[in-house]
Amino acid sequence: MNINSVGIVGAGTMGIGLAEMIAEKGLDVVLIDKSETELNAARVGLELSLDRRLTKWGITEAEKKGILSRIRLASDLTHLAECSLVVESVWEVLEDKIQVLQQIEAVVGAETVIASNTSTLSITEIAAQIKHPERVIGLHFHYPPLQRDVVELVRGLHTSEQTVDDAMALVRELDKTAVRVFESPGYITSRLMMPLINEATLILAEGVATSEDIDLAMKAGYGFSHGPLELADRFGLDSCLDILESLFHDTADPKYRPAAYLRKLVRAGHLGIKSKIGFYRYDESGERLEGRR
Amino acid sequence: MKILVLNCGSSSLKYQLFAMPEEAVLIKGTVEKIGSDDAIHAYKTDGQKGETVSEILDHREAIRQVVAALTSPEVGVLKEAAEITAVGHRVVHGGERFSLSTLINGEVKQAIRDTFDLAPLHNPANLLGIEAMEEVLPAVPQVAVFDTAFHQTMPMEHFLYPIPYVLYQRHKVRRYGFHGTSHRYVTSRVPALVGRDVTGLKVISCHIGNGASVAAIWRGRSIDTSMGMTPLEGLMMGTRSGDIDPSIHEYVMEKEGLTFDELNSMLNKHSGLYGVSGITGDMRQIVEERSKGNTRAGVAFSMYTYRIRKYIGAYAAAMNGVDVILFTAGVGENSPLLRRSVLERLTYLGIEVDDRANEEGKGERLITTPNSKVAVCVIPTNEELMIARDTNSLVTGLSTTPDRDSISFDT
Repeated sequence: MNINSVGIVGAGTMGIGLAEMIAEKGLDVVLIDKSETELNAARVGLELSLDRRLTKWGITEAEKKGILSRIRLASDLTHLAECSLVVESVWEVLEDKIQVLQQIEAVVGAETVIASNTSTLSITEIAAQIKHPERVIGLHFHYPPLQRDVVELVRGLHTSEQTVDDAMALVRELDKTAVRVFESPGYITSRLMMPLINEATLILAEGVATSEDIDLAMKAGYGFSHGPLELADRFGLDSCLDILESLFHDTADPKYRPAAYLRKLVRAGHLGIKSKIGFYRYDESGERLEGRR
Repeated sequence: MKILVLNCGSSSLKYQLFAMPEEAVLIKGTVEKIGSDDAIHAYKTDGQKGETVSEILDHREAIRQVVAALTSPEVGVLKEAAEITAVGHRVVHGGERFSLSTLINGEVKQAIRDTFDLAPLHNPANLLGIEAMEEVLPAVPQVAVFDTAFHQTMPMEHFLYPIPYVLYQRHKVRRYGFHGTSHRYVTSRVPALVGRDVTGLKVISCHIGNGASVAAIWRGRSIDTSMGMTPLEGLMMGTRSGDIDPSIHEYVMEKEGLTFDELNSMLNKHSGLYGVSGITGDMRQIVEERSKGNTRAGVAFSMYTYRIRKYIGAYAAAMNGVDVILFTAGVGENSPLLRRSVLERLTYLGIEVDDRANEEGKGERLITTPNSKVAVCVIPTNEELMIARDTNSLVTGLSTTPDRDSISFDT
């Protein structure tokens, strides 16, 4: 399949990151969200991200213009009709995902691959309620998608070989690395990362070490580019909590039980970079305020 | 005999059709934005210009359109596609395998594929062009002309880097050099300008365009060049840094929190004239800003010319002398100010610039006085013609293969 245009439904942090990364690779992107309010926020988010990279010499003015010119924002799903692949990136709630997939299926062509960017939910379950479950696949991009090369390519029970091939073609086109996974809660990455973040939260909550030292230990000791608590701030503590809840619920295994302190931070609205406070504090552009080396 | 010369980028291609052996250009054109529904095909013949915008999804389609245009009654340069005798392709990286242009077969294509790692932006696109052309004109012989080939005569002590030798053995980490076709073309024009055969001469060729490199050419063969394993090494360029201390990389990454991609982009797209001036990577604009008193444009200009002068000095030392210095490519051909600034502090070599020839002359010419101990020439480059010549001689079997016995380099 020749993929020229990719649709993204859900212009949250991940949706914006995906749009930017895919457009940078030269593909056209249709980025969909519910209303003008969300789309305006997405516009601002895109500009911010590109400007930040401009100051870090990552792109040129001309490249920024090129990237923006390839991203079309819209609230009407019919704009997805021309896309050869659509990725949903809406909130991690099963009912919402199912509903969005049904809406996507109603407007796209018969050959279009429909991918879910879910990190934990069951592809089989999401796909079960749509007419052609064989064209549904999980494409779990990692945040921030520009910097993370791995994509978990998740097959549901009904996912066809053709769908896997088409999704692989996109991953290759984007210069990413695919790891193939058969459906299982948390796949590889969330299943390994979330317990790590959860345990780091417990270490902090028990007063064993400071957040800086916990992160430093994993960076200096194990070559992590970011410590688990910094990562949690990037993912969003609410997302981490959701994923842990979901793993805990699906497996009934106590090792996934969310740390009470994580729950407390989320209740307080300390969600990480997006709320400028989580385990650390951040400025408007998401730069850490203290503790930079 | 008609030869089509093709230079394929990842989403664009340039072509010229030559009548050989007259070396007349029948048409030249470009296709841009390949892979989109508003790709632009623009061309120019002796009598007319044309431009079409249409959907061109891949290189094969682009080449089909080019061939269709060549044979269309409106353009009228060919009656039928079969008139094309051969196709010459510019291929950026030939690795260590190719020191000469070569007829393309399966083995050659594999060798081009083997160098993808060394030229990830260029070689895949070049191969795409070759394969697309094979599908569109299956019966027509194709020739690959490599940017690196001319520099394959460099002796080992010049092309190796002083790092662990296993890196050369395992990964072919070494100097390859680029702009070879251009350096070779301008060198071939030397006898006509200075009246002496190049085999007796020490030549320093300065290809100064948006990318820039200097080559030391001894007895007609490249023995050193400023670009290295990649086109980032050597001279300061429009937006590329050229030579810098490799320890800067780690230091800057740490201080600025950069990723490898950002560092790479910084060195390739945000450095050079652009990075220092903060205004532009275009020499014309730098010269203009400098004349208005912009200090950083002035510093950028001085750094740029200083580094060219350093390389000329280094290569004069490497060859134990220099007889001819050549300037070519966008900046080298069109900026008398740049040439003057580079040359005015090379008087120790016995260079005497003929200001009038430098400033007012046009085209291929000598810009030094008869008394000058070193002849300095401006020579507009013509890589396409070189590709057409190589292609022509390979397909007519008249290959004028220069002898490539291993040379022992001593001056």
